Amino acid sequence: MTLPSLLRKMPPFMPVLIILICMFALNGLAEPNSLSPYALKGLISTYLALMFLSVGQTIVIFAADIDLSVGAILGLVNVTLVSMMQVLGGEPAGIFAAMAIALAVGAGCGLLNGILVVVLRLQAIVATFGTSVLFLGLALWIMPVAGTPAPRLFWRTFGGRIAGIPFAYFVLAGLLVLIVLLSRSRFVPRLLTVGDDQLAAYQTGLPVQSIRVRGYVACGIFAALAGFCITGDTASGDPNVGGLITLNSVAAAVLGGAALSGGVGTLFGSVLGSLVIGLVGSLVFFLGTPSEWQNLVQGLTVLAALMVGILFGGKARA
Amino acid sequence: MSKFIKAASVMSLLGATATVAHAEEFTIGLSNGWVGSEWRTQMIAEAEEAAKAWADKGVTVTTKVQSANVDVPGQIAHVRNFISQGVDAIIINPNSPTAFDPVFAEAADAGILVIATDAEVSSPDAIYVGIDQKGWAEMSARWLAETLDGKGTVVAINGVAGHPANEMRVAGYQEVFGEFPGIEIVNEVNGNWDQAQGQQAMQNILATYPDIDGVWVQDGMAAGAWRAMQDAGRDDIYATGEIRKDFIDIWSENSLKSGASVNPPGVMASALNVAVNMLMGKELKEPATAGVYGNAMYLPIPFISDENLGEASAALEGQPGYTSYTSSLSIDDATALFD
Repeated sequence: MTLPSLLRKMPPFMPVLIILICMFALNGLAEPNSLSPYALKGLISTYLALMFLSVGQTIVIFAADIDLSVGAILGLVNVTLVSMMQVLGGEPAGIFAAMAIALAVGAGCGLLNGILVVVLRLQAIVATFGTSVLFLGLALWIMPVAGTPAPRLFWRTFGGRIAGIPFAYFVLAGLLVLIVLLSRSRFVPRLLTVGDDQLAAYQTGLPVQSIRVRGYVACGIFAALAGFCITGDTASGDPNVGGLITLNSVAAAVLGGAALSGGVGTLFGSVLGSLVIGLVGSLVFFLGTPSEWQNLVQGLTVLAALMVGILFGGKARA
Repeated sequence: MSKFIKAASVMSLLGATATVAHAEEFTIGLSNGWVGSEWRTQMIAEAEEAAKAWADKGVTVTTKVQSANVDVPGQIAHVRNFISQGVDAIIINPNSPTAFDPVFAEAADAGILVIATDAEVSSPDAIYVGIDQKGWAEMSARWLAETLDGKGTVVAINGVAGHPANEMRVAGYQEVFGEFPGIEIVNEVNGNWDQAQGQQAMQNILATYPDIDGVWVQDGMAAGAWRAMQDAGRDDIYATGEIRKDFIDIWSENSLKSGASVNPPGVMASALNVAVNMLMGKELKEPATAGVYGNAMYLPIPFISDENLGEASAALEGQPGYTSYTSSLSIDDATALFD
């Protein structure tokens, strides 16, 4: 078997998987404790939010769209969830009701994005940037200053263990099951078809507009799930919590093998891409990079990882 | 009994010829989640220098720094990295007042001391060592009100709406101006702590309220506001200033009618000197119980006015223009706070 055909046969997330393994190895060499059970659990619970967010981002990227409001949706969901839990009480019934409301808020934000981009045909980058300002404004209106604590039951569960296994691992398992279900459904292949060639998809009779809108709604729902994770890991409401996370979700998707031009990628790859972003930050520190260089080195490392991914991913697609 | 004293007595029992040098070794992690200003760079540099100064006291303090533009999860990762490395203490300039409660609890469980600086945190597992942002605003507001003899119209140019430090500062000046019945706040605008937006806001204010007597403006926005006033030829207005050398030079050369509360970048160095004392097992004479979260220890806030402008200028002599006027607790100052 020749190398090109090998590359063609490998799944699109192969490059990022290799990068991820290298990152783990380098982190382990630089700081053996970074592979301890505590550190691994910490890595997962810290970056669960980014994983959910980048999976949502990948769904819209599949259809050649983009959502720059995911971080703002996450912040809005965070303050909605915390405020509603306070209103409804910290008992299981109140918590689940608050989660249902917050999930609906996420889906509603996604629907609004979908209508603006797909139905009103605004440019996705501009429209979702606009809605991000709107969602941040709403979050500030709900909670003007960061501070309301989440009920103890909520964050203790998220940070705790069930049968000796950290709860975060169950959430991760849940995410992976969701990804498998989505990938086997008609939804993901249809999104990819739309992203690959919208006109052709339309001509074959696919309901292109409805598929793209549903992509945005799914993205909003995943942003809401990311909001749950961040609430679990921070135990409080902060309207500005989604500040810089949006572009990380795009970077994770691209690292994971998705093309911004649409039609290519896997949801699983984005999960791996999120972990790579997390590990890059740690590695830069564990290698002892002087503080004034950390931002630069982190940026260069992500760039290098992107280039490696695109180089091999590109060959695989060729 | 502190480990320090035990170690020292063991060494003297052994009749070691060496003094207590290297009797104690501490590793302290410094986390900074935003690198957008020289103030933060100076903050870290001063803390690293403060750590080195402990060598004279026979204590080895090693710093590990994580400083990058990160989101909240990114800074939570900073803390978890420090826990994995097994540092003795973490000093953090936090990106959120509340989001670190669970991860600080993890640090406390691992026996790590956590100190926040520059921005207060709600965690019961951490203490705050820094200035009182409200007191900072009260000080300059009182200067402005008294300089205006308690009467006149003023405007305020604020930072980022909803940011905890900004809200505390707003509460501070509103309270002080409220004490002066002759002072009227005619408008309050947001300049998002951005020098250019401060300048823009000031231009709008001068156009709308040409008769104002005073301006209360924060941080780097003050340089922008002053530029707008100078461009408009308005040397009759009193306004608060800021603490970078560039501005202090302009202030001295043009005899501006200004006064500035100082939020010194040395706060992290102060926090480090407090941390080392705590790591030695000493107890604070007055426990850190101030502030809205009941876990704060407030540092003195210097004030620059015409009376001591010359001293501030001299202290910054020969430094680059972006250097902020600074102050911090020395090792002896910090040690004096402990039993």
